[in-house]
Amino acid sequence: MTAATLNAGASRSVLPAALKEAAIAAVVALALTLPFVGLRTVDSPQGLTVVTRFGEVAIAVALVFIGRLGLVLVREGYAAAVLGASIAAAVVFWLAPFPTPPLRVIALGGAGVIAIRAALKLRDMRGGAAGQQARDNRADRFAAKVQELTRWLGPLVVLFAVALPFMPFAGRSVIDIGILLLTYIMLGWGLNIIVGYAGLLDLGYVAFYAVGAYSYALLAQYFGWSFWACLPLAGVLAAMAGLMLGFPVLRLRGDYFAIVTLGFGEIIRIVLLNWYDFTGGPNGISGIPRPDFFGIADFTRNPAEGKVAFHEMFGLEFDPLQRIIFLYYLILVLALAVNFFTLRIRKLPIGRAWEALREDEIACTALGIDRTRIKLAAFSISAMWGGFAGAFFATRQGFISPESFTFLESAIILAIVVLGGMGSQVGVVVATLIVIGLPEAFRELSEYRMLAFGMGMVLIMVWRPSGLLAHREPTVLLHGGRDARRKRAAAEARA
Amino acid sequence: MTALDTAAATAAPVLLKVEHLCMRFGGLLAVNDVSFTAKAGQITAVIGPNGAGKTTVFNCITGFYRPSAGRLSFRGDDGTVHLLERLPGYRIAGIGVARTFQNIRLFPRMSVLENLMVAQHRPLMRASAFSVAGLLGLPSYRKAEREGVELARHWLERTGLVDVADWEAGNLPYGAQRRLEIARAMCTRPQLLCLDEPAAGLNPRESAELADLLRSIRDGEGIGVLLIEHDMSVVMTISDHVVVLDYGRKIAEGSPEAVRSDAAVIKAYLGEDEDDPLPPEVAADLGVRVDGEGA
Repeated sequence: MTAATLNAGASRSVLPAALKEAAIAAVVALALTLPFVGLRTVDSPQGLTVVTRFGEVAIAVALVFIGRLGLVLVREGYAAAVLGASIAAAVVFWLAPFPTPPLRVIALGGAGVIAIRAALKLRDMRGGAAGQQARDNRADRFAAKVQELTRWLGPLVVLFAVALPFMPFAGRSVIDIGILLLTYIMLGWGLNIIVGYAGLLDLGYVAFYAVGAYSYALLAQYFGWSFWACLPLAGVLAAMAGLMLGFPVLRLRGDYFAIVTLGFGEIIRIVLLNWYDFTGGPNGISGIPRPDFFGIADFTRNPAEGKVAFHEMFGLEFDPLQRIIFLYYLILVLALAVNFFTLRIRKLPIGRAWEALREDEIACTALGIDRTRIKLAAFSISAMWGGFAGAFFATRQGFISPESFTFLESAIILAIVVLGGMGSQVGVVVATLIVIGLPEAFRELSEYRMLAFGMGMVLIMVWRPSGLLAHREPTVLLHGGRDARRKRAAAEARA
Repeated sequence: MTALDTAAATAAPVLLKVEHLCMRFGGLLAVNDVSFTAKAGQITAVIGPNGAGKTTVFNCITGFYRPSAGRLSFRGDDGTVHLLERLPGYRIAGIGVARTFQNIRLFPRMSVLENLMVAQHRPLMRASAFSVAGLLGLPSYRKAEREGVELARHWLERTGLVDVADWEAGNLPYGAQRRLEIARAMCTRPQLLCLDEPAAGLNPRESAELADLLRSIRDGEGIGVLLIEHDMSVVMTISDHVVVLDYGRKIAEGSPEAVRSDAAVIKAYLGEDEDDPLPPEVAADLGVRVDGEGA
């Protein structure tokens, strides 16, 4: 209503068309809300009765009409007027009485969305025809700046992570969240090798995580091997699983490849679920030994015969937190190892070949690169890091079951990589903080946090489809140095 | 056998011998019994109207297609003869056959220098001991990488791309992308450089520069160049030997002058109806006088 009156005299030709479009939207809304909102069955003492709620229907239809009108007018260029009107409308909605709270939330949300659209449109109109290209360039420059910053900030963050367990606020829950975040960061960095660098969409990464976890759990259960002997073995076995899957699968391209990896992830889970005699099936494996202090000392109050207790060895009071802190440092070292390895291998011929394969496979063949071998290397290396993470997961939990390795896990890890920006190491960290950290921090919002998470993902994919911090620095420079880099960026932007 | 005659006449060693090459796609015979040779230190051009089968021949030589029949023998720099039709595609680049593509195939999001480093994948991979030496940062690998960068710098200088070495390849202007593709092919240290329409989309000045570059590659490196080209001004000025295809068959072969005045070639390019007047630019390229009677 407000938007309409503000623009009434503005243009004779736009307004009728806008009103017509809004009216059509309102009719659709009426058709939908009349049965869904307008009629409600209530279980009363007289039996099932129908209660009508036409007031709500009227409000909903009016909201749809106004909202559609606002969107159309923004599209037609009346952004300033609509921005003012929508802010005014938001204030009115805040104060006005609504029959039910959800309606108020929807009305406020709608006014907010329209205000944002109008503001974006205003900015675009001011800055000339700033299209998607210009926005991408700006985002890329931002990502470049962040990456340059991480050169200085990175070590500081690592120092902070090292000092975290001894901070005054670091209780058991903080360190637990830290372990969780680092596990996902490690998995994200591991998956980044195959998805981000080699450009192969792997939807079944959790399979290698599972292979690593079960490798350790089964070796410990059947042979009583220690964690430190099993950790490298878990990586090797996961890498072997990657090779075995890779040989038949890497001939496939694009979507077909993704589908087969998805299937492989499910195959591993279902085998674990059904091979009851060996893996314990849905009951999982419990009592997986906790890690000791490099085979020297135990993290128990009363160590077993012939073992030393960690707290006795260092003359400390016994504290169950010591084991948690040790686990925290273990995953920190593992995650940093993946990062160091990835940053290093990116600059080697094999890393360059991965990125070249992502860009153009046919050109790679013409340059003498054996695609299958290079892809297999990416696949098995990525799987190996997943296996390490899996062994860590098993020893931290002490209990694993196939339920921990569902497709949802793969999807979350993939979301971290894609959201952060494929091939961006910092992006993985930031995305993990968003994807894992935020829902963890807002646990009291219960199921609404998943809704908010989904909406956030959609918004980011609309706003920046290539990921938050996607920016690629060349692995080798002919004209090195900071000034040269600045000059190049400026010249490229002009071209 | 004119091919054998010219081979005997000039002492240049034969690099590539194509014998009775056939390529069949379903019912279509795209290449029908084509034979020719390419020699070291010479530019051999393959020309023909659209759909004549030039790119198919190329794809057979560079391993992208497996020929239906025929033999492709290539003499490597150590004198061993490889049968290209039996090798997988990636091995063909390894023995010294490099190619470029009709529609440019760079790695657009990688830098210009990185494009050239990827081209040296095989030697660098060996130097990095399959990444072990590279991961450890051993001096042997560092030295190999420095040499790789120097080779890349050499070709960037030859193609005039030094200033943009650190740009994303996809941001280069079109002509520079064409030159970069040639530089990248040269970084594989080939014996035979196969170029699929390198002058397509270039303006006359860029075409002239390209001709100079190809001549300098032929004379400076002593390697063979095999060229598919539509731009007759380029073909006629730089080729030592021209092979003409039409409907998958070889219809003529010889020096540019001989091919230019060959009746079959003129017919293939201009059609059989001799009443049609020649378009003046085509006539000029072919060196034919327009006198109303075609040839």
